[in-house]
Amino acid sequence: MVAQFLRLKLRLLANTFRRSPIQIVGIAIGLFYGLGAAIVAVAGLIALRFVDTALAGSITVTLGALIVLGFLLVPLAFGVDDTLDPRAFSLFGISTTRLATALAVTALIGVPALVVAIIAVAQVVTWSRDPLAVVLAVIGAVVIVATCVLSARVTTSIAAFLLATRRAREITGLVALLIIVSLSPFAAILATVNWGRDGLRLLSSVAGVAGWTPLGAAWSAPAEAAAGAPGLAILKALIGIAFVLLLWVAWRGLVGWMLVTPQREARRRSYEGLGWFRLMPDTPAGAVAARSITYWLRDARYHTSLVAVPVAPLIFVVALAVAGVPWNILALIPVPAMCLFLSWSAHNDVAYDNSAVWLHIASNTDGRADRFGRLVPALIIGVPLVIVGAPICAGLFGDWAVLPSLIGVSFCLLFAGLGLSSVISARFPYPAVRPGDSPFAQPQASGTASGLIQSLSFFAAIVIALPPFGLAALGLAFGGGWNFGALLLGLVLGGAGLYFGVLWGGAIFTRRAPELLAFTLRN
Amino acid sequence: MTDAAEAEQPEKPAASKPAPRTRAASTSTAATSGKPMVAEPSPAAPKTPRKSAVRKKSTTSAGIAKPPAPREVVLVLRDLSKRFGETVAVDHMSLSVPVGSIFGIVGPNGAGKTTTLSMATGLLRPDGGSIVVHGADVWKDPVVAKRNMGVLPDRLRLFDRLTGGQLLYYAGTLRGLDAATVRRRSADLASAFGLEDALNRLVADYSAGMTKKVALACAMIHSPRVLILDEPFESVDPVSAANIIEILQNYAGAGGTVVLSSHSMDLIQRICDFVAIVVSGSILASGTMDEVRGVGSLEEKFVELAGGRRTAEGMEWLHSFSD
Repeated sequence: MVAQFLRLKLRLLANTFRRSPIQIVGIAIGLFYGLGAAIVAVAGLIALRFVDTALAGSITVTLGALIVLGFLLVPLAFGVDDTLDPRAFSLFGISTTRLATALAVTALIGVPALVVAIIAVAQVVTWSRDPLAVVLAVIGAVVIVATCVLSARVTTSIAAFLLATRRAREITGLVALLIIVSLSPFAAILATVNWGRDGLRLLSSVAGVAGWTPLGAAWSAPAEAAAGAPGLAILKALIGIAFVLLLWVAWRGLVGWMLVTPQREARRRSYEGLGWFRLMPDTPAGAVAARSITYWLRDARYHTSLVAVPVAPLIFVVALAVAGVPWNILALIPVPAMCLFLSWSAHNDVAYDNSAVWLHIASNTDGRADRFGRLVPALIIGVPLVIVGAPICAGLFGDWAVLPSLIGVSFCLLFAGLGLSSVISARFPYPAVRPGDSPFAQPQASGTASGLIQSLSFFAAIVIALPPFGLAALGLAFGGGWNFGALLLGLVLGGAGLYFGVLWGGAIFTRRAPELLAFTLRN
Repeated sequence: MTDAAEAEQPEKPAASKPAPRTRAASTSTAATSGKPMVAEPSPAAPKTPRKSAVRKKSTTSAGIAKPPAPREVVLVLRDLSKRFGETVAVDHMSLSVPVGSIFGIVGPNGAGKTTTLSMATGLLRPDGGSIVVHGADVWKDPVVAKRNMGVLPDRLRLFDRLTGGQLLYYAGTLRGLDAATVRRRSADLASAFGLEDALNRLVADYSAGMTKKVALACAMIHSPRVLILDEPFESVDPVSAANIIEILQNYAGAGGTVVLSSHSMDLIQRICDFVAIVVSGSILASGTMDEVRGVGSLEEKFVELAGGRRTAEGMEWLHSFSD
């Protein structure tokens, strides 16, 4: 039984490598980081062997407790896609205990479990100081791995089971993002602690508390033994073991419960009236626009791109700041970058509709109306963004003369990018997350094309904006008329890009409508 | 077959566009719409013994039944074919649907019903043949043809992040109706289909039957001449189904035409005036309900044509239950 489950898990792992290159790169990066972290941790733990007991204990217990906490919380926050959900096996008539065992053992396969296993083994080295400490460290290693794996299993199942409703699934990811953002003040506080002076005291007091919690007990037991407190050591080891047993009981209970409980019903929410449809004109283009706005507001898949629009430029800025670019130059980046991402986010819009696009085809909706309507949400966000954001950024830069070129380049990126997106989403759709799935889930069947299309649509928009960008650079260097040249050229190029993009995209949509539907059906 | 002449005349639409001259003229060979509702074995179709048997059957039953009055034809499929790779999904199918009728298409799983209806509604590009709706070719003059069609596809998603009310409004405005008209009709449709309480809820939260009903309402909102409904009664409860049938019958009574597919033979036999039995992409029998079913029920005729039942052998292990 267990062997079959292990084979299944390995097969599933192997299949992830049959996805698009971008995903393989993602997996490779994950593996690289995981193993890198493990190697650093192993080196650190070996080094701690030669540090005095109290300090080594404080460090291992604090970090260990954080690791276990991560295994508990990450699945809850991000709703990890559970390939081995117990419910998938409910019809095979496997006894609950055997199924729970098999699934728990299978969970050992995977990057996080591998990393934690390496670390758990390495901490034995740290405590190779006296016999009792070694014994407790070895027991602790097993307990740590079991705790982590079972914690992740339990919380993953809770996430898949209790948070399974469509709305809950869509919201948890966003909530997690908010939590991370709101935690950043704590990070700031930690950063301001004078580590040289108070660091050790802080660490040892944290470890003192964490060592008595189930999160840190197993890590703390060998430290207590090495410090010459065998009684405390054994007590802490027992706390760790008791927690594993508790997790096991919880896991088995959860499996038993999940096997017999149907999907939790979503609480139904009511929406009054027609919403955005009332605000938009009663033409096909207006209706498509209202539908798109409603989707941008209601559909988690659009939320992720909405979150990415302000976050992605931030990464640009931070990277350049680290590279030593002066801050006032960096102030020029966010608005054009947000425009670029905003226009780019529409480049696979038809795939997001999935087969619902039949309604447009059966109604013989004008391709141009379809194309333009879909761009309206990005325009509603983008135009005010430029109008408000460009003066602020020009102010931060410290010279109002750049304002025209900032506006010109931004509008060029926004409009021409949207025109490009409207052509690309009609001509080169690629598989997207299906409606109702978690926005973090990846479509299984994404081919090699998707990565190419993504980068093509991204860089093509930049290429179109190069002429006004060049004029803006001249304006930055020589000032004066160049800035207004950038504004004019940006508006002309952007406007033309938007206009012809909608026309061309509309013609493609009208011509290829049945093929588009066939594509969404394959997806 | 004296009414061959009248059968040609119905092609002329009441509306603006002239009938597509191309195929209407060229394919009017011997059997073409001799009687509007009879299958037209195309020259390219393979002559199977089954097919000739069918024709004999329909002519004999036509002899018994009183000859149907010539009726205007509103939907014509000519020589329609579609293949997916090696599989022939629809094999040179021809069909004429008279105005004011409820036309049922039945067939076993994978017979090509959905493929045929998808091509007829402009959702799937045919490999060959033509579809004419009220005088306009669906693939050459989609603007006029699609205006006259209301479509309920099977197994396609809806824009389900909209509320029922928004979806109806969306379907209406995409069809070019103005806001006031859409609102009035939405209210009427909602009460006719029993959706009043559901209009403010997301379609994603609907049950399967409710989703079907709101999709059906969307298909009707622009008052089309022809309704093409793929499995309209699937997962709809009996009370709602009775309501829908009544709506469809009133619609047909007022000159509308309904083409629907279903697996429920009883239902088709009860509500349809005409029926076509489709097996492996070809029409094996078509005509008025009485012509097709003969003396038995439609279900008996269907099982007979669809290749009969196969007796399950070698499944004895199924009867020795494992514990």
